[in-house]
Amino acid sequence: MMRNDPIKHVFIWPAVLVVLAISIFPLIYSFTTSFLSYRLIPPIPPRVVWFGNYASLLQEPRFWNAIFTTTLIAFIAVGLQYVIGFGVALALNARVPGERLFRVALLLPMLLAPVAVALVARMIFNPTMGPLNQFLSMFGLANLPFLTNGRWALACIVAVEIWQWTPFVILMMLAGLQTLPEDVYEAAELENASAWQQFWGITFPMMLPISAAVVFIRLIESYKIMDTVFVMTGGGPGVDTETLTLFAYQEGFKKFNLGYTSALSFLFLIAITIIGVTYLALLRPHLEKRR
Amino acid sequence: MSGQGLTGLSSRSRRLVAAGVLVWCLISVFPLYWVVVTAFKTPPGVVGGPTYIPFVDFTPTLQPFIDLYQGIRGEFFRTFLNSTIVGLSAAAIATAVGAMAAYALVRFEFRVRFGAGLIFFLLALGGYLLFSNSLGFTRAQALLLAFPIALAAAILANRLPLPGPILGNEDILFWFVSQRMFPPIVAAFALYLLYSEIGRLGFQLIDSYVGLTLCYVAFSLPIVVWLMRDFFEAIPIEVEEAAMVDNVPSWRIFLGIVVPMSMNGLLATFMITLAFVWNEFLFALFLTNSRWQTLPILVAGQNSQRGDEWWAISAAALVAIIPMMIMAGLLSRMMRSGLLLGAIK
Repeated sequence: MMRNDPIKHVFIWPAVLVVLAISIFPLIYSFTTSFLSYRLIPPIPPRVVWFGNYASLLQEPRFWNAIFTTTLIAFIAVGLQYVIGFGVALALNARVPGERLFRVALLLPMLLAPVAVALVARMIFNPTMGPLNQFLSMFGLANLPFLTNGRWALACIVAVEIWQWTPFVILMMLAGLQTLPEDVYEAAELENASAWQQFWGITFPMMLPISAAVVFIRLIESYKIMDTVFVMTGGGPGVDTETLTLFAYQEGFKKFNLGYTSALSFLFLIAITIIGVTYLALLRPHLEKRR
Repeated sequence: MSGQGLTGLSSRSRRLVAAGVLVWCLISVFPLYWVVVTAFKTPPGVVGGPTYIPFVDFTPTLQPFIDLYQGIRGEFFRTFLNSTIVGLSAAAIATAVGAMAAYALVRFEFRVRFGAGLIFFLLALGGYLLFSNSLGFTRAQALLLAFPIALAAAILANRLPLPGPILGNEDILFWFVSQRMFPPIVAAFALYLLYSEIGRLGFQLIDSYVGLTLCYVAFSLPIVVWLMRDFFEAIPIEVEEAAMVDNVPSWRIFLGIVVPMSMNGLLATFMITLAFVWNEFLFALFLTNSRWQTLPILVAGQNSQRGDEWWAISAAALVAIIPMMIMAGLLSRMMRSGLLLGAIK
């Protein structure tokens, strides 16, 4: 039931004003800046260049490299998070022994500061003092160049992302699993459906809407990745692990290239919107069928 | 609530599944164990190669923590205090303001004309360009002038029968939540520019308590509104209706009935927001430099300042992590009571 009372404005306006002031105002400000050629170091007075910043960005190989790297990290990490997270959630939901004990341990990684996590990862991946290389050398493997080789560094970042954010998937999937109706499974039992058939025939399709939401949230969040990369590799070696946010940070804060950075962040915004809309459009037919 | 999905499994495969979960748990916990032990090692204990068990493999020491407290590698104590102050106040304000908005969106009807929104945007953009380019105001002055005018015009325009769709509560909710979708770098960089422009007018917002807290409140609001809406929707309306029959004003219904009834939700939301603010890196990196630096910045700085002093890095990371470890314990307890069920609907 909805009611109408002038006091509703007192309830909603503080939140609206804060969001308008802190996120919409700057957005308009940087939107206008993105059409200027504007540098603080060396100081160059603002000059209107219209789409000049956008054009030069689209021709910049470093920009495309950052897009490629970010996409690679996001898709691999989120895909593996989903598979592992769904698996663990299923297991916890089936009440494997010791389930309670696992809960805190499973929740922990996502509450920790990504910066601290990245530092710990650097220690673990350290070639001489790290435990991982010692562990691998037990199997006769040579010291691996974890953070100094481009591909390995990318793999390490993905691993850290998975480590930190699989708990989120587990949490959400577990909550979703607990809403599934039991009678369907009882009926399936009577039909002698195997556990595998039950999963593909009942659990997976019924979990599809929640899965879609979880993957969507993780994908969008992964695209913003910055802290982990900043601390683990700083984008290096070279620009092999440079993500979009890091690229924008370098341009904005090292070179104070204001117009360019604004244009970059708007392209980023457009890219995220395209990915989001495409994702939702691709999934919609599957989701509506189930209703 | 009982275990489905795996009921058909034999006891052998159940054990296999349990082993799988155990392996994942070990992977989850090992890095944390590693920080804890490294934080108690002496420099030679670290450099000599990996050691695992205190008193057996190496002799633990408190030296890294003593160094930390004495501020040998950055003003640690002050930074910790900053993080706590900003975190607690931003989480409290965001929860309060966001809960109010969420309640309004659940219980009251809002109608915003799309045309009014468009007018706001066009007037804000146009007014800003006009004031700054043609009338010779500084950029910050132009912004501060254009926005109230645009807002007032939009509110007035909302009363006119403008053509175009009318947006309801769901659309306003979507607008709030969509703030979480765009990459924070867009906002962070723009906010830095805006803050520094306003700083030139005399209000210091960069590296200030107000600037940082305001920014965190704004960026926590989407998640607060999203979570709290579900809690309020779950509250039975009959209690509120009974109070309305007795002519209790809405704000007293909210404070006296709704807030106490959704205390669990408010607490959980507060903790989630606190975790977000505590760990936040990008905005803190842009908006602070010395006085109001927060923990993640200091922790990240340990890395580059003096080379890889792993014992010191571990100690700093551990202190940044401990409050969140406690939170994980508290939250996992609340998790069992179906806390997050609402959030995914």
